[in-house]
Amino acid sequence: MQDTIKAKNVPARGLAVTQASDVTRDTLELNADAVIIGSGAGGAIAAYELAKAGKNVVVLEAGPYVPSEKFTEMMAVSMDTLYADHGGQANSAGDIAILQGACVGGSTVVNAALCFRTPDYYLERWGKEFGLTNLTPKVMRPYFEKVEANLGIAPNKAYETSAGAQLLKGGMQKLNLPEGNAHRNIRNCAMTGFCFAGCKSDRKQSMLVTYLPWAVAYGASIYADTRATQILAADGKASGVLAEIVDPQSKTVKCQLRVNAPIVVGAAGPVQMPLLLQKSNLNGNGQVGKNFACHPTLSVTGMFEENVDNFYGATHSLYMDKYTMPEDGGYLLLDAIQDPVEASFQAEPGTGKPYMSYMSKYRNSVRLITLIHDQNVGEVNWNNGAKEITYFVDDKDFQIMKAGLKTNARVLFAAGAKQLYIPTSQKLTIDSVDQIDAVIDSLDNEPARYRYTSFHPQGTCRMGADPDTTVVSPTGETHEVKNLYIVDASLLPTSIGYNPSETVYALAHYISDQINRAHG
Amino acid sequence: MSDQTKEAIDQINRLSRRSFLKAASGLAVAASLGTGLLGAANAFAAVPEGIKVMSASEYQVMHRLMQVTLVTQGTGLVPASEIPVMQTLDAALLATMEPHILEGLKGGIAYFNDGPRAEYGQPFVELSDTQAAAFCDTWADADEVPQRALAMGLKKLVGLAYWANPPTWTPLGYGGPVTEKWKLESLGNAPLPKS
Repeated sequence: MQDTIKAKNVPARGLAVTQASDVTRDTLELNADAVIIGSGAGGAIAAYELAKAGKNVVVLEAGPYVPSEKFTEMMAVSMDTLYADHGGQANSAGDIAILQGACVGGSTVVNAALCFRTPDYYLERWGKEFGLTNLTPKVMRPYFEKVEANLGIAPNKAYETSAGAQLLKGGMQKLNLPEGNAHRNIRNCAMTGFCFAGCKSDRKQSMLVTYLPWAVAYGASIYADTRATQILAADGKASGVLAEIVDPQSKTVKCQLRVNAPIVVGAAGPVQMPLLLQKSNLNGNGQVGKNFACHPTLSVTGMFEENVDNFYGATHSLYMDKYTMPEDGGYLLLDAIQDPVEASFQAEPGTGKPYMSYMSKYRNSVRLITLIHDQNVGEVNWNNGAKEITYFVDDKDFQIMKAGLKTNARVLFAAGAKQLYIPTSQKLTIDSVDQIDAVIDSLDNEPARYRYTSFHPQGTCRMGADPDTTVVSPTGETHEVKNLYIVDASLLPTSIGYNPSETVYALAHYISDQINRAHG
Repeated sequence: MSDQTKEAIDQINRLSRRSFLKAASGLAVAASLGTGLLGAANAFAAVPEGIKVMSASEYQVMHRLMQVTLVTQGTGLVPASEIPVMQTLDAALLATMEPHILEGLKGGIAYFNDGPRAEYGQPFVELSDTQAAAFCDTWADADEVPQRALAMGLKKLVGLAYWANPPTWTPLGYGGPVTEKWKLESLGNAPLPKS
């Protein structure tokens, strides 16, 4: 148990952040006990725990600071202001949209707030396969309990649902499939359905309204618009970070920043973290950027006879995980509401009149998502000065997706849908239950054929005991550089088949404890 | 097809949702047709106000694709001609692309326009509505990856540029933002935790 310092009061609203507009010098040098790269799930928790222990903490966030009162509740605009590459981040084949937050608070600002504890199966598997015998269910339980208490993670109340979820629940009941009631980090959900656009009334307990203001109350400083360009290391030990403070409008560098710190914590996320390590020439064993996974998802859209109006309510409230563990199938079903912009590209009804006829029936549509536990077959690297996410859905994983789509289709029909749109490049519908197998079995694993979305990139700085095959040690410190820690989803040795946010929260707490123990 | 064009195709398929700012008004663009794709008979003399990125010939292709894709007759939906679709496409999507991606996309638009020549003997911009729709559907199910990607990607761009404009939502029964409408109080920051 480390010592803690006394906190200042947490302001009722807002966050003290230094932005590019606040900077008047073209060079700046800071000295800190710890510098943290990234302000999302892992970075915010590390900032809080290290600052609470009395450390002088500086947080660097490449994205902008967008206070919640500025959230627009318009998905298209939100994608531009809050998401990586304005929502355009994708794999090298361009057929998987890889969505991540790129703002103060990171993906926690724009995720659906869905939380699952890491299944014991994976903790035990990581122990056997990766030497992470320290991350037992018994060790991790207090960390899950802690973050659940801090973020108000709890099962949805009965009213926290949506019209579509209610229909889908009926479908699951007819098929004797277990309906999972989502656990979310929400306070008094207002049921706007705008989780993906940022919660304007601060009901979602993102890092923006929890750990970041708490970290600041303990003395942490946050710099937005500040992109780390190099991790500094000397004699095998981390010594700080170089960064650029960039004007978000003109994209010009306003200030070159250097933070000197004996502790560096990487939390830039599974795409940017390996790129920064590679750029810093910290890839001695060649493993940085490898083992990328992303939980690819496909949405099947069901068309109902009646108006469903599945656009306000809980963004996610229902899941079906009977077949989620690898030996059971490897896929998860999730409900999700959607706005017209999202609905506009989820299906291919045919060009022209068929498309507009389809969109005219927006109120009648309900989508159900299939998410797969995928193998770590991707890589993140630099290619001619640009990032490249090389990932193709593995043939075995595609078979899992097909199995998931079949169950997905059965649930939608059981819920009352009359016709289903399969998310392919060409028009493909299923008009009755007896067509499901034939249509889904006909699908081949081809590039530019499906409309994939990934919300969960992970695995590019794999955690494990073996310094030859992993990047980060069991305590979260890199094998290559002392006092350089990583606390984001890039740690995950395998994908886990469920939304990984609570896993990241818990691991960040655990690793922060290791840091405080090693640097008392 | 050039690598840049392939990369551009990838890029437009990534455009799940982007900012759709209204195009800046009052900027008349005097575009020349000197480097047009084909000098179609129905060519525009110039592109409309607010179009800064697309050339006149590229504008023709995308405008034609808009006409073919966003058919509102008999639907109750807002006609595409009443929505700044091309301005939204130009200012919010194309203007923010990296230069090399944009260059590739321009190549992709030309490739798409030339696509129907083999079967129909004319470019996309000169096809009838029925032919143009059939061509899009054929490419969407083609064996060639670039053809599938372009058919899906270019239509996606046009669709996004239309549906991102709030006036298009009313006929769908979608009300848009609600926090102010519902007078929701902001809960602000959470208090410090006990642990």
